[in-house]
Amino acid sequence: MTPDKLVQIATENNEPAWFVEKRRMALDVMDELPRPTIQRFDFHNWQMTPDVSNRITTTVTPNKDYELMDIFDAINEYPELLQKYYMQKVIKPDENKFTAYHTAFLNQGIVLRVPKNTVIEKPIEINLVQDSVTPFVSHVLIIAEENSQFSFIQKMTTTGNQAAVANCIVEIVAKDNSNIRYAAVDELGENVTSYLSRRAYVGQNAYVDWSIGLMNTGNTVADFDTDLYGEGAHAEIKVVDITSGRQQQGVNTRVTNYGKHSIGHINQRGVIMDRSHLIFNGIGHIIHGASGANAEQQNRVLMMSSKAHGDANPILLIDENDVIAGHAASVGQVDQKQLYYLMSRGIDKKTAERMVIRGFLGDVLVSIPSKIIREQLVQTIERKLENGQQVSENS
Amino acid sequence: MATLEVKNLHVEIEDEEKKTKKEILKGVDLKMKTGEIHAIMGPNGTGKSTLSQTIMGQKKYHVTKGDILLNGESILDMPVDERARKGLFLAMQYPAEIQGVTNAEFLRAAINARRPENDKISVMDFLKELDKNLELLDMSQSMTERYLNEGFSGGEKKRNEILQLLMIKPSFALLDEIDSGLDIDALKVVSKGVNSMRGANFGALIITHYQRLLNYIQPDVVHVMMGGRIVKNGPAELALKLENEGYAGLRDELGLDVKLVDED
Repeated sequence: MTPDKLVQIATENNEPAWFVEKRRMALDVMDELPRPTIQRFDFHNWQMTPDVSNRITTTVTPNKDYELMDIFDAINEYPELLQKYYMQKVIKPDENKFTAYHTAFLNQGIVLRVPKNTVIEKPIEINLVQDSVTPFVSHVLIIAEENSQFSFIQKMTTTGNQAAVANCIVEIVAKDNSNIRYAAVDELGENVTSYLSRRAYVGQNAYVDWSIGLMNTGNTVADFDTDLYGEGAHAEIKVVDITSGRQQQGVNTRVTNYGKHSIGHINQRGVIMDRSHLIFNGIGHIIHGASGANAEQQNRVLMMSSKAHGDANPILLIDENDVIAGHAASVGQVDQKQLYYLMSRGIDKKTAERMVIRGFLGDVLVSIPSKIIREQLVQTIERKLENGQQVSENS
Repeated sequence: MATLEVKNLHVEIEDEEKKTKKEILKGVDLKMKTGEIHAIMGPNGTGKSTLSQTIMGQKKYHVTKGDILLNGESILDMPVDERARKGLFLAMQYPAEIQGVTNAEFLRAAINARRPENDKISVMDFLKELDKNLELLDMSQSMTERYLNEGFSGGEKKRNEILQLLMIKPSFALLDEIDSGLDIDALKVVSKGVNSMRGANFGALIITHYQRLLNYIQPDVVHVMMGGRIVKNGPAELALKLENEGYAGLRDELGLDVKLVDED
């Protein structure tokens, strides 16, 4: 798309000048920027950057305790807030080709801001539906002001089954002493090729808990990132992933400890079925000066088929002496002892296998704070495993 | 009436490291029917657990000769889940732990595995039955929402095996050392559970080292196993005699050439 066309569409949609300019600058640099790197995962020939000319309005339920709105309303109503935080503080447009594409072609999004000293008891829920006809360039910007506390649940699904591209970014600004529990169940469709990037900027003594169920059935590149800037900043990252059919997924989950005494724990579980391919990279990076930091990670994958490919790679980069860091990784098969036990109670092999897999995911599942999300995720997992078992049978 | 018959059963296992085969069962004969409680006693390493695991269908035990018949039908070619649905149940010494699957969910799946697709147990019926059995076994309701055996104490695991037995209601239960590691109170509770199953439609094979358990669950028949064979059958009193005289005494009385594992 030409810059003139991009500017014209944005202006017709009443976007403010600063926002249109941000789009144009991103489009300018997009072509020269490299794709993000997922070690040991090759996706250089995926078509990920189609032109976008539409805008998708998102209906949200307003609440008196916080601001939740469509991003295209927010850019006009809260220009200062958005200029300060949208693709600025947490993720920058020129980090890679996909972040630039995102900034240039954004067509859907929401903004949530929870004020200072506010505790929201009820989880804030958002359902995003990707219509497979057009590309889905979606942004979720979450700003947690000092000392706020809340849970956010995001679900993503696809309607229709045409081939499409999704580029979804979530930015969390966790200011000092805030406490955020973010849970996501991603269920983008089989023909959707997606780039998912989620990152938090974590302030002093702030806490971010990520629980992510990566249940997409299409090819996916995921970049989950947490920057622990503040002293005593803390993040727990839990990722559960199932791949089936001929699906390809590359997942980078990274925590960077900048702050003294910051804590970052990664716990990932992947189940690889049929002929699918899954790479889990866990990256723990401790910056020089982050004394007393703690970075630990576990990456485990379960191979359900001899034709499946996968790996779990822990990567620790440590530039400071006074730290605690550790990692564990494994690639394994179904636990035969557990399978035998379940089958000895009359449970058929397939059902028993699904239960054993759930046991393997259990460590991560049980640490998801919301019971509702946990149960929904279990149902989704069941469904995905059942489909995966059927695919295996027919191939 | 259901029957379970073991005929001249020979079983070997493979030592995966040494790539050698070892015969554990050397011709076991055993016949039982529902309405009866049988006990198998014997010293360590004599093949008692091998027998129960082979009947259930654990793959690492290879049957080289003989047969196992359930209601006259050979079950040797059946996978473990099919044997279970045909009426066999094995209460294990070391049950597996599965995080992420609740006890209640597991129990329902096991019950429903025995029922046709269009006749699954209703939530109400299930909970009613569950509450009744929990009470009988002096187990708290919270046990059912915990993950399957995960973090259970030894005693809790044994109780949970018996809870499954009561919920599944098999024709034949193989109880493999359900008394090991239990204090006297837990032993009484577990025995109460097994005794509540007694009746014309239930039979059990109780495997134990010690006579103590048989004070609480009175067997109709006692079998003594040594060196991979059943060497003596008798009434409940046989267990008492063994308790007094030890396995070595019986071995010498029968003139058997069997080395007891714990004997120097």
